[in-house]
Amino acid sequence: MSDQFSGRLGLIFASIGAAIGTGNIWRFPRMVGANGGGTFLIPWLIFLFAWSIPLVIAEYAMGKRSRTGTIGTFRIFGGKKLAWMGLWTAWISTAIGFYYAVVAGWTVKYFQLGLTGGLVGDVDTTEVWNAFLNSSGQVIFYQFLVVVLTLGTIGFGAKMIEKVNVALMTSLFVLLFMTLFMAIFMDFKDGSLDGALFMFSVNPSMLAEPSVWINALSQSAWSCSAGMGMAITYSVYMRKDEDVALNSFVMGLANNSISIIAGLTVLCAIFAVSNDPLGTVTGGSSAITFLALPEVFAQAPGGKIGSFIMMAGFFLALSFAALTSMISTVELCVRNFVDHGFERTKAVIITGIAIFMFGLPSAVMWIKLDATGVAFPQFLEVQDHIWGYGLMFSGLFIAITIWKFGYQTWRRNVEEGTADPGLAGYLSVGVPAFREEFINTGDNDIHVGKWWDMSLYIFFPIGFTILIVSYFADMIRNTPDVWSLSNPYGLTIILVFWGVVASIFIGFNKLLTSLPLYRNVPEGADCDITMLPGGDDDLVSLASEKDSGSEMDTIFEAEIVEATA
Amino acid sequence: MQSNTHQTGLVMKGKPTTALILVMPLLLCMFAPVVGADMDQEPAALAPEDIWSDDYINTIFPWAPANDRILQFKEYHTYETMKNRMLRLAEDNPDIFEFHEGMNGGTNARGEEVTANAYEGWFYGHSSPWMKITKDVSGGEYNAFVGDNGNYADRHDVMIVGNHHAREWMSVQVPMLQLEVIAFSYNNIGYDNDGDGLIDEDTWGDSNGDGQLDDDGDCLALSAEYQDSNGDGTNCGPGDHGVDEDYSEQFITELVNSREIYLIPMLNVDGNIYDREVFCPEPAWESCPSGGWRKNLRDNTFTGVTPLPDLQEQVDEDCDGVDLNRNYQFEWGAPLGATGPIVPGTCTPAEDERAGISNNDVYNGPVDDRDNDGDGQVNEDHVDGKDDDADGVTDEDWWGGNSEPETKFIQDMTEMNDDTGDGSSEFKATLTHHSYSELILWPWGHCTDCQSPDHYQLEYHGQQMADMTQYANLQSSSLYPTSGDFCDWHYGVHGSYCYTSEIGTAFHQHEDDIDHIAIRNLGLGFYIAEIADNPRERADLEIANISQQNYLKSPSQINIPEEGDIPVEVCVSSQFPYTLDNSLSYVEWRLVTPTRQQSDYGPREWRTADWSKAYFMVEEGASCSTSDGDNGTVLVSMLPVADDVTGQLHYKATLGTLSGGDLYQYPTDGLYNILEISYRKPYGNTFGMLFWFTVVAGSIWGGLGYSLRLMMTSGKDDIDLVDAVLEEANA
Repeated sequence: MSDQFSGRLGLIFASIGAAIGTGNIWRFPRMVGANGGGTFLIPWLIFLFAWSIPLVIAEYAMGKRSRTGTIGTFRIFGGKKLAWMGLWTAWISTAIGFYYAVVAGWTVKYFQLGLTGGLVGDVDTTEVWNAFLNSSGQVIFYQFLVVVLTLGTIGFGAKMIEKVNVALMTSLFVLLFMTLFMAIFMDFKDGSLDGALFMFSVNPSMLAEPSVWINALSQSAWSCSAGMGMAITYSVYMRKDEDVALNSFVMGLANNSISIIAGLTVLCAIFAVSNDPLGTVTGGSSAITFLALPEVFAQAPGGKIGSFIMMAGFFLALSFAALTSMISTVELCVRNFVDHGFERTKAVIITGIAIFMFGLPSAVMWIKLDATGVAFPQFLEVQDHIWGYGLMFSGLFIAITIWKFGYQTWRRNVEEGTADPGLAGYLSVGVPAFREEFINTGDNDIHVGKWWDMSLYIFFPIGFTILIVSYFADMIRNTPDVWSLSNPYGLTIILVFWGVVASIFIGFNKLLTSLPLYRNVPEGADCDITMLPGGDDDLVSLASEKDSGSEMDTIFEAEIVEATA
Repeated sequence: MQSNTHQTGLVMKGKPTTALILVMPLLLCMFAPVVGADMDQEPAALAPEDIWSDDYINTIFPWAPANDRILQFKEYHTYETMKNRMLRLAEDNPDIFEFHEGMNGGTNARGEEVTANAYEGWFYGHSSPWMKITKDVSGGEYNAFVGDNGNYADRHDVMIVGNHHAREWMSVQVPMLQLEVIAFSYNNIGYDNDGDGLIDEDTWGDSNGDGQLDDDGDCLALSAEYQDSNGDGTNCGPGDHGVDEDYSEQFITELVNSREIYLIPMLNVDGNIYDREVFCPEPAWESCPSGGWRKNLRDNTFTGVTPLPDLQEQVDEDCDGVDLNRNYQFEWGAPLGATGPIVPGTCTPAEDERAGISNNDVYNGPVDDRDNDGDGQVNEDHVDGKDDDADGVTDEDWWGGNSEPETKFIQDMTEMNDDTGDGSSEFKATLTHHSYSELILWPWGHCTDCQSPDHYQLEYHGQQMADMTQYANLQSSSLYPTSGDFCDWHYGVHGSYCYTSEIGTAFHQHEDDIDHIAIRNLGLGFYIAEIADNPRERADLEIANISQQNYLKSPSQINIPEEGDIPVEVCVSSQFPYTLDNSLSYVEWRLVTPTRQQSDYGPREWRTADWSKAYFMVEEGASCSTSDGDNGTVLVSMLPVADDVTGQLHYKATLGTLSGGDLYQYPTDGLYNILEISYRKPYGNTFGMLFWFTVVAGSIWGGLGYSLRLMMTSGKDDIDLVDAVLEEANA
């Protein structure tokens, strides 16, 4: 019996839950603030359609057929040699999960503070924040709480994931709308709706700034979870006849809808009360969220009740966003264990312990004070510095898989004499191969046109290169001592970590592909293994055909734990 | 105990009243606090007798009996009294004074054979008497041409000249007072000049920097009625009792030890005698209230270039004489402030003179038709510091100038005084006294709207002397242009820092005013001697000090406009010779802005731009107060900071001086000011906002709605789920 979402909306809610995270609520508003207000929305919209949605389409299309997590998907679509890419994708997500649980814990703590009125009145938000970060016990408690909630959800499988996501996402919409109305009311009350004015006013000269485009691209790439393996993971639980393209559009548009609402909420509230609103919103995410916003919310109309509603409502919404993203992050890891024959409960426990243990340093280590006397978790920041851009490579690996499939299809057709051996043949047979074979299937409500090929073959490589080059160039230019290994903000430490992890995974590739792989295929699904590129893999079988997973567990447990460590 | 009491008794016995007066307030204070409070509120205004000696109050100098009116500066020196006094002082002070009349002559620096009588006045036949002043004046090298001993290579020479113009009598009195003071003060260390019991407590100028010349505050302590003892309308100004009255004898002694001072109190002996004895019958201030004889006594009526002394000839007042201070060779000629050579027989008749027509008072002397360098050409290289004929020799064949015994005397004394043997004049600083107008003047005189290479250094020292005397400090040509004057020649040809003082308020100042005006100007001669070692370097160092009065406006003083460039201002002292040259004076600025990316969890990240430069302009009509409280000029630099910048503006300023020598940084080395900048641009307009909101919301939310609708209609079972979800959400 395969594990499945109960319906189409189940998948949508789970996907939206994965896509919507803190990035929408605390990162998007400051990105709008720092990148020219309404101007930023232009490239942001463009990249939604040119980058995020095409990648999500690719993920769904692959996951829907492979019916395995990221490792299995790369093994089946990219061939045995590329299986390590799935491991990379899983690892990056898990590594981010280590510290993301801590961050999610913060949001829960601030919900608790909002609930108990700990941020209203004569309170110095910096003191509250510093005191919280420096009390290891509290930070660990909330981190632990998040891990338990997450694992509790995942442990019960797809149905529970779906239920929790439906509940949390619906609540999040409601809560966000509530705070949005209050924020707009606040901004209106001080004379002009200048927060909204700023957010929706285009300054054409800003469009000439490359950094605006780069930041819009990074915002699109991050916030939608495109190319991170989330959609691959959740599509495992798709029913047989889901429409890949429509699901992707819904996920991307829903994600951006929430961004707009959160952006309006935060900007209107800050512009309503701050003397230097743009100075405030151009700070870092956690500074805005945990230092500035509580001060702003404390001045909400309606006195204590108003500020209580805004404070508690906003931080609850933020907690929900963080929690659903946490669920998808952990599920991505768990799914890979289950694919390789582990019992779900066992996999959940292993992952849970790892997430909690490896998250501890981020929770308590290197709590420093910055130049303005605000505490920040340096170890956590360094983790983010190292793994954040690793996500970009997950996206690249998905693209590589598709490019490889296209190339192989074209070569095969050339050999069979059905395709032109020149560029024209490649363009007419190779490039659209994946789209025609796996996206535009009979289940589709909408047809995905050539624009998708252009996105994956032209736009993605260019955008990827620009992002990586500008990120590194910026780092090299602005980071002192950037090449020193001992500099946690340097480039060398990133390259070393990436290099070590990638080398280990490539080294493990052979072992990885010697493991049996179990696919979670629903009844009547149109995805027999022989139809897929990895159809010659003898070790791939259906989960429903699995005899007994227990012996596999004991054999490979050790290696896999080692690999994820 | 006993012996103490005994001693007190002795003192009391000497001057019981004084002692009692001294002790009484103390005793009273012990009894009554009220008395103390009263004293605090109303400090007793003093009378001169409370402070100074009787001699000082009556301006009785210690070097002569009170009834010697000339030596007490109550009456003018004549040529004879002056010369006798100089002889007498030289006799009494042989270690520092050596008296001379004219010079010995010989082959001068231009290769001309000159005899001693070449320096004798045309009419009365006297050379200018002068005093060589230095320590061990009979030692050192002997200069056969000049005739003086006491030439030391390591002592800086300074020339002080009085009475270029015959009628300007105070210009004799001031150097004569300086001579008396030197004679009296040399090695007389710690003399109490004003008899107040304090020593050297108030030297020339504002030496303690409080803006008051009266450094010890004794004049200011007088009741108001006594504060303007010289009656010039200024209380406690220069020349008043108690102002700059107790200078340091140590300072004067050290100057004499380290300088060679050439003091020529009366250059124009001919003219001075004629003015006194013939032109302006006594009392001159009544007979010649606004005029007098100015020039020397060259006979212009029938002689040409080289008139012979003609004792039978009476002075033709309509025609005779050369203005010595237009007769120096540098830029000699008559384009500005001088009249050219007159054609014999065309002198202005006396009647015309009375009718207001000039009698050539500024006649600059005859044209020199000689071939000065013997190359067959005449007047081909005018004296202007340039090689006009491009023959490799500069200024070797002049048009004229230095034609008179007196100017020739200055010329040869200057050019033949080369202690160091380097071929250049030793006089790095020179001073010539004139009267009147209460001015301190310095080169250039020959051109208007022009500045010398040392303009600001010259101005600086001029200001020091102007502060000392409360005279006005001017470039000479700003008063009126003059060509061929003493200072243009000294500076233009010999690089000497040369100053002209215009003393007092009349040519023939009333004799009651001699003493206090001479006192008022006494410091000038010592100042010029002091700076004679290296006037330029001294000025540069002091300008560097002045630079500390300039300041860059701090962030809190900067007004950030609602839009456009941000003005950064520097307040510059009026004494500071700033330049607006872009390569020397500029503001450096950079923006430090939050990065557009930012870390999600770490401290705020900043991007620091490279330094850019912006340039200054003078803010018209604005003034500011320097850090010393003086009036300053406002320089402003507009920094092109975009309206949509949020972050910090770092800025610092560099000011160069006109000479280009030094750069001053504000704030000092390597530091900069930080100004917080917030977003200034308008956020947008409502219509634009509504339009763009509609587009964005329409495409995102509309797209989402459309997709969901499409999805729902494709499968009936999903609609049931929507119901289920909504139920769950409502629950």
